[in-house]
Amino acid sequence: MSGPGVVWYLGIAAFLFGTGALGVLVRRNVLIVLLSLEIMLNGGNLALIAFSRQAGNGDGQIFALSVMAVAAAEVCVGLGLVVALHRRRLALDVDTLSELRG
Amino acid sequence: MTRVDSMAAGAWLCLFAPLAGTVLILAGGSRISRRLAGWVATSSVAVAFAGAVWAFVALHGQSGHAGTVWTAWTWLQSGSFNVGMSVLVDPLSSLMMLIVSGVGALIVLYSIGYMDGDDEERRYFAYISFFVFSMLMLVEGGNLLLLLVGWGLVGLSSYLLIGFWHERPTAVAAAKKAFVMNAFGDATLALGLFVLIAHSGSLSFATSFATAGQLSSTTVSLVALGLLGGAAAKSAQIPLHTWLPDAMEGPTPVSALIHAATMVTAGVYLIARTHPIFEQARTVELIAAGAGALTLVVAGLVALVQTDIKRVIAYSTMSQIGYMFLGAGVGAYSAGMFHLMTHAFFKALLFMGAGVVIHALAGEQDIRKMRGIGKLMPFTKWCFLAGALALVGVPPFSGFFSKDSIVAATMNLGWYGWVFWACGVAGAFLTGLYTFRLWFLVFPGEPSDEVREHHHAHHGEGGKEGPWTMLVPVGILAVLATVGGWLQWAPKWHYLTTWLEPAARTLAIAEPTTRQEYFTSVATVVAGLVGIAVAWALYGRERVTIPSVPSLRHALEHKFYFDELYDALFYRPASAMATWWGRDFEEPVVLATGPELGQTALDIGGLVRRLQTGLLRTYVFFVAAGTAVIALVFLLTK
Amino acid sequence: MTINSVTSLLVWLPIGAALVVWLLPLSRYATGSLAVLVSLVEVGFWIEQAARFDFGHSGLQFAQRGSWFSDLHVSYHVGEYAFSLWLVGLTVVAMAAAIGYGFWVGRDRSRAYFGLMLLLTGATVGVFVSQDLLLFYAFFEAMLIPLYILIGVWGGAGRLGATVKFLIYTMTGSLLMLAAIIVYGLQAGTFDLVDGPTSASRWLFLGFMFAFVIKAPLFPFHGWLPDAYREAPPEVSAVLSGVIAKAGLYGMLRIVLPKFPDPSSYYRTAILALAAASLVYGSLLAFRSPDFRGVVAYSSLAQSGLIALGLFSGTNLGLDGAVLQMVAHGLVSVSLFLIAGAVERRTTTGELALLGGMARGRPALATLLMVVGVISLAVPGSASFAGEFLVLAGAFQRAWWWAAIGAGAIVLAAMYMLRLISAVLHEARGSVVTDDALDLRAGELALVVPLAAVLLALSAFPAGISHHSFAGDQPTSAVQGQFR
Repeated sequence: MSGPGVVWYLGIAAFLFGTGALGVLVRRNVLIVLLSLEIMLNGGNLALIAFSRQAGNGDGQIFALSVMAVAAAEVCVGLGLVVALHRRRLALDVDTLSELRG
Repeated sequence: MTRVDSMAAGAWLCLFAPLAGTVLILAGGSRISRRLAGWVATSSVAVAFAGAVWAFVALHGQSGHAGTVWTAWTWLQSGSFNVGMSVLVDPLSSLMMLIVSGVGALIVLYSIGYMDGDDEERRYFAYISFFVFSMLMLVEGGNLLLLLVGWGLVGLSSYLLIGFWHERPTAVAAAKKAFVMNAFGDATLALGLFVLIAHSGSLSFATSFATAGQLSSTTVSLVALGLLGGAAAKSAQIPLHTWLPDAMEGPTPVSALIHAATMVTAGVYLIARTHPIFEQARTVELIAAGAGALTLVVAGLVALVQTDIKRVIAYSTMSQIGYMFLGAGVGAYSAGMFHLMTHAFFKALLFMGAGVVIHALAGEQDIRKMRGIGKLMPFTKWCFLAGALALVGVPPFSGFFSKDSIVAATMNLGWYGWVFWACGVAGAFLTGLYTFRLWFLVFPGEPSDEVREHHHAHHGEGGKEGPWTMLVPVGILAVLATVGGWLQWAPKWHYLTTWLEPAARTLAIAEPTTRQEYFTSVATVVAGLVGIAVAWALYGRERVTIPSVPSLRHALEHKFYFDELYDALFYRPASAMATWWGRDFEEPVVLATGPELGQTALDIGGLVRRLQTGLLRTYVFFVAAGTAVIALVFLLTK
Repeated sequence: MTINSVTSLLVWLPIGAALVVWLLPLSRYATGSLAVLVSLVEVGFWIEQAARFDFGHSGLQFAQRGSWFSDLHVSYHVGEYAFSLWLVGLTVVAMAAAIGYGFWVGRDRSRAYFGLMLLLTGATVGVFVSQDLLLFYAFFEAMLIPLYILIGVWGGAGRLGATVKFLIYTMTGSLLMLAAIIVYGLQAGTFDLVDGPTSASRWLFLGFMFAFVIKAPLFPFHGWLPDAYREAPPEVSAVLSGVIAKAGLYGMLRIVLPKFPDPSSYYRTAILALAAASLVYGSLLAFRSPDFRGVVAYSSLAQSGLIALGLFSGTNLGLDGAVLQMVAHGLVSVSLFLIAGAVERRTTTGELALLGGMARGRPALATLLMVVGVISLAVPGSASFAGEFLVLAGAFQRAWWWAAIGAGAIVLAAMYMLRLISAVLHEARGSVVTDDALDLRAGELALVVPLAAVLLALSAFPAGISHHSFAGDQPTSAVQGQFR
């Protein structure tokens, strides 16, 4: 195969995943958390495709497609929650939304 | 009816008649009159006496007078350990049966007059019949366990009767003290019995006495010590004597019956009955004698300063029982039992005479306020004098014959025998002194104004000294106190010793020679007469005053500080320990442990609660970290 | 109906009656009468069993067996030995007195109350007749449910804390026992007590003992005792002390001693020490207790110690004495608590400092309290004396110091019991004793007098129980032979 080695793709995927994870952990705005979650998913997707290319079969690509479908569904639910929160005039801030604390 | 059947029938009748009396009185309740309750009680004890006579006559006719045990049913059984509800009729038990039921009947008759007018008379007569039943069970019990049962039940009856006027805190306290000290004796007695059971598996007299011969000397000494502990507690000998003076809180007939004639003599009976065990543990037997000798002197000394008429007689009882312990302890069992018999007569007489006086003076018991009552109550005075002379041991009164045999028996024992002998003679002096101190302070002379006033108020004009129910028993006992001793005069004739021989043969070492007997008799009679003379000088004529030695007087008045010692040694530490444990251990440790453990569970929950921050990022962090750890573990173990 | 099914009847009749009471909307009077009737019928059936029992024959009698979880070898197996016969008798008599007391006093929410009391009867009898470990455990726990509710609803001021403490303490022990039961059953292949083998496992021994030592209770696991006895209604305290406590001691006798002979020997000294400590500690604390119920409660602790002393002495005398004492103390304790209840109803308190002088004008109360009191302190001649004497004689055969400690406890018992009697009956009238505090009425007498009569009869003939508790009166052989 020509082109950069799998490692480069994995590196970018890891970078994307890490950025996303950091965003989820650090950012307070709910929408930004959802965005970061998407970035994480995309990082995972990239890793899957890279491995698929390396292995030579299409398993990783199929899996990446189902991940995209799940991601889309999850975004719907997440944005629906955001809209519901906004309708109730609640702050879109994960630190404030802590009613489930023990 | 065969002889054997007569003995059994007499014994069972004697035992259960008083119990029937108690049950009848309790069943009657308030439906029967108080007077009737008294007569039911008296008749039941009289029937018991008839039974005792019947058994005695039958036994007397039997050659050998060996003891026989009859069992009605098995009381307690566990495996091969078997205790029957049985009665024993042998010379020793039949003698005790006669004394207990005979003197008992007289005293219960006396109670009818003494307790007349008391609201709770029926309860009194129920209790006193129950006491007679218990005492008869003690003396008739056919095995050691039944003896212990009787032992405990007389302690119970004593508690009920001492605390009869239960609204008086002093009476209640005295009753409790008597019971607890006796319970201590019960406990030591039980421990002795446990040793016997462990070795022979049986508590019948025959087996136990045979086993005693096979035990090591330490073991048999422990058994004997256990028996002695019980005997000393019951008979109020040092060191378990402090309950007896307080027991005078009970009605006077109770003092006469329980604390003079019968219950307190049970210890002597026990030593005589279990003498085979004591003879195997000769040291313990001699300790018993020593305790008796010590008590007879100490009690005699304390009696010198008592001002309550009943307390004087109580300490006198303690002292006389000391004589009996001395006799039984050195091995002169029949001498001890003889003194038990004569003592029952004259001591009951003295108590009852005192009771007549107390009754006449409307409850006054202080001898300093009774001066001259003899003039108003001549019958009582002469009867009391007979009792007093019997007590001191002046011939021909009964005490002389019995007391001297005991003192003479000590002469062949060695150096401690002489100590005992000296105590016995000193005791005779003290007896003369305190008895006639009492006599001279109370009876002779002109009645004081107080006396005239009380007597007048109580009896009206020219009345009798008391109801016949009180005077007749006093009279009968006065006769017995005078002639009762003529049954046996050691140098010449000894019916009692011969009678008791099959059951309790006197040890050879305790048999004095005729010369020793005469010598002792002279010594004790002289000592007694000297005591009387000194009493006359001090109290009769008041020619001489006693030199004042405050420390000695304090010691005597505080009864040598035994009560204070026991309070400090036993009661206060037990009470403090119970309080300390209750407050500083039970509350904080035991009771709190459960709630504390529960609180700990709650606290841990509280800690775990901190993980639930409610913040999204915490949860995500944990998910991520957990995943990373799992992945790491997976990679490493792969 | 065969004689063998009477055993099951004794268990399920009250439970069935409880269901009836809960389901049917009967009036308070009808409910109470039904409960009293059922409890008396129970006594009748027990008397029939006792009359037909063959005391010379070893092995289980009046047995019934049905399969339950056949793959685990768990069966519904009930039956009676001689000692369990006596304990069943104690249970039915005590429960009859307690139900009678509840009827006499009148409890609100009577359907719930009587249903629970009947359930308690059935469960307790079940404990004493079960011969399968899981069945035993089921009934053991089933005893707790009605007690929890009875104390928690009808108890005194501190009832909630008391009942929760009681429940958690007892359940902790029971859960350990459950673990032990499961391990034992799986190892042995059967949960049956009659067929099951012995085990040498010390952990299993401890698991079982932990539950029983809390139930009895023995020092220092008695933390639940004072509060539960003080806060429960008097008749429930009576049953707790007189019957339920004996269930723990019965467990030691039926399960622990035969099934774990080696661990029993190994831990014997420790258990005897705990028993002796309970005896002394309970007596001392009874002596200092400020209220009527406290004295009886700590006295119960002491007596449990005495009975355990007899059980673990491993001698014939000790075992016979322990069974006798279980029955005697059970009756005494029930009577004392009922009398305490009667006093509390009249004077609103059990504080000894406030009572006094009740003997004057109240002959029935004075006589009953005196009679039961002196039997309680084991006055020689009484049934409890016979039991105590046998236990201590047996303990002496094990080692002399146990008997010496027991003998000391005799003196302590005299002290605390006489203190109780005098504080209630004697001296000056207490501040709470008014003229309205009448003597015991016919209803109360009808409850306590029969108990006292049985005690007096037992005192005249203690061999009735002591000689007839084990087949052929060879307790140690019976235990070694696992009661087969």
